[in-house]
Amino acid sequence: MSAPPALVGLGLPDVEPRVSSRLLLWLAACLAITMLLTGASLVVGTSSIETSLGWLLTPDAQSSVILWQIRLPRTVGAWFAGALLGLAGAIAQGVFRNRLADPYLLGTASGAALGVTISLLAADASIAGLEWAGKIGITGAACIGACAAIALTIMLSRGALQTASLLLAGIVVAFLLSAVTSLLLLTKPEIWRTMQGFLLGSTGYLSWSSALLLGIVFSICIVPAALLARGLDALSLGEDTAQSLGLSLPMLRLALLGILSLATATAVGQVGIVGFVGLVAPHLVRETVSVNHRQLLIGAPLCGGALLQAADLVSRWIIRPAELPVGAVTACVGGAYLVFLLWRRSRDE
Amino acid sequence: MSEAATSSAARLPVPLSPVPALACRALAVGYGAHTVLEGVSLNLAAGSWTAIVGPNGSGKSTLLRALAGLSPRLAGTVSLQGRDLASWSRRERARRLAWLAQSSGATDLTASEVVGLGRFAHSGWLAHRKSEDDMAMRRAMLATGSLPWAARRLSTLSGGERQRVYLARVLAVEAPVLLLDEPTTHLDPPHQEDIARLLRSQAQLCGVCVLSAIHELSLALTADRLIVLGFNGLIGHGTIREALDGDWLSTAFRTRVNIVEHAGVYLWRPALEMPPRD
Repeated sequence: MSAPPALVGLGLPDVEPRVSSRLLLWLAACLAITMLLTGASLVVGTSSIETSLGWLLTPDAQSSVILWQIRLPRTVGAWFAGALLGLAGAIAQGVFRNRLADPYLLGTASGAALGVTISLLAADASIAGLEWAGKIGITGAACIGACAAIALTIMLSRGALQTASLLLAGIVVAFLLSAVTSLLLLTKPEIWRTMQGFLLGSTGYLSWSSALLLGIVFSICIVPAALLARGLDALSLGEDTAQSLGLSLPMLRLALLGILSLATATAVGQVGIVGFVGLVAPHLVRETVSVNHRQLLIGAPLCGGALLQAADLVSRWIIRPAELPVGAVTACVGGAYLVFLLWRRSRDE
Repeated sequence: MSEAATSSAARLPVPLSPVPALACRALAVGYGAHTVLEGVSLNLAAGSWTAIVGPNGSGKSTLLRALAGLSPRLAGTVSLQGRDLASWSRRERARRLAWLAQSSGATDLTASEVVGLGRFAHSGWLAHRKSEDDMAMRRAMLATGSLPWAARRLSTLSGGERQRVYLARVLAVEAPVLLLDEPTTHLDPPHQEDIARLLRSQAQLCGVCVLSAIHELSLALTADRLIVLGFNGLIGHGTIREALDGDWLSTAFRTRVNIVEHAGVYLWRPALEMPPRD
């Protein structure tokens, strides 16, 4: 079809979506910060060895192990875990059309906690239980618990037909599973201390294998998420409008929730319940660059990764030689950021 | 009918086709146990603009939503270009029937991204736009006067500007059937007039079947045909002349509605005196 002559060459503002220079600058800044944090986390640690650049360049055998087998996998793993949480948060905010949605909205956190509690109880109760718990590990138990919680939520909301019922089902499941966890913990108070490390979130157990797992899951999640981004754009105009555009809302929702579940369950399994990263990362992207969903779904993981890396760094630096739980750091920083947003909004009005 | 044949029919609707572009038989719509409208049968031809008028709560939006296949029908059938609405595939239906919501929120998307979503049924998930998609978007944005804001975020536009972008989104579909819920909301009177002119030209020049709920009575009376809804359902569907001769509006609003003819147009005259002058 040839264009009507009147519409050609008018030099009108182009209807092509263009990647703005601001967005490119933003991406470059994000990558630079990540690089900087990675470098910093190699030289900062709880061990008593020197934390200087000279040491980094000429490591002896012991510090080389610390460097390559402990610090590097830890920071890489933290990046991927944060990226998964950022991605899950961006998806949750898009699906629920609510800027305050976070990845744990579907009961993931409570499910993971229950999974860990059950595996610890089983390990405590019998030899067979110990064997079984040892096989799947705390991370496996958390992952299974998180997946089960999401399945329960989707079942309760009858296949995610409506956002409101999904939200409600998520709240019900979260409360229910937390109650069960508390009851179980009452019967065996000794495992409470072990549980606490998990509930507060920790990047301390990340090894190369967990970093690899997180990396693989992240690459599995990001591609379909970016492909479905246009659906989230449509959804932001309202559910009815999205439907009238020819989208199948239940299918779109289930696909997105599948990605969200995989991302959240994997991250929770490896680093425990780290709060606020999933909520704050998409906010940070929106605050700094205005984006459509495809850009948001790529920007939020970059932001989340850098955030968790930074939190990890702070957690092992601030009370050297001891370590803070990383979840406590993200909660403090994330909470402060949300208070800042609140303050700015009330100032603007 | 082959896919090629149906899609060319979608782009070049024949105004005098014997099959109505959109029709419903014994349609009943409502929410749960509450029936809003029942027993509604309509034939809407291609190439004409029909306005739905009626008091608040008479079911204008509900009827539009049911015709668009968005709210569940309690009974009856809706057919699009002679085929049952449900028998069309989702994409095919979205290419033939475009719907504009009464009010859409602001988003972070740019105006051109929003209008581009109107091409979703044509270009799909990857948003790989062909030149034909670009031209449709440009035409729609030119027609609604929203092209100057193409690169602006919707959240930075005023309500009226936003409404014109949403209208462009609907026009960009280039569907043979347009269902619009209050397309003139948030617009000042001169721009309401522009929209009315636009809807008429869509019907007369492009052969589109346009159905819109319109609040402004004088504006609604510039349409080709009128559907009048009252509190107890459909009062009538016919030409403006038929509606006025039958005094359907007074029946619908349960009060005297004065329509005067002035310089070739019908105007609604409020039964109010001018304030006393000194």
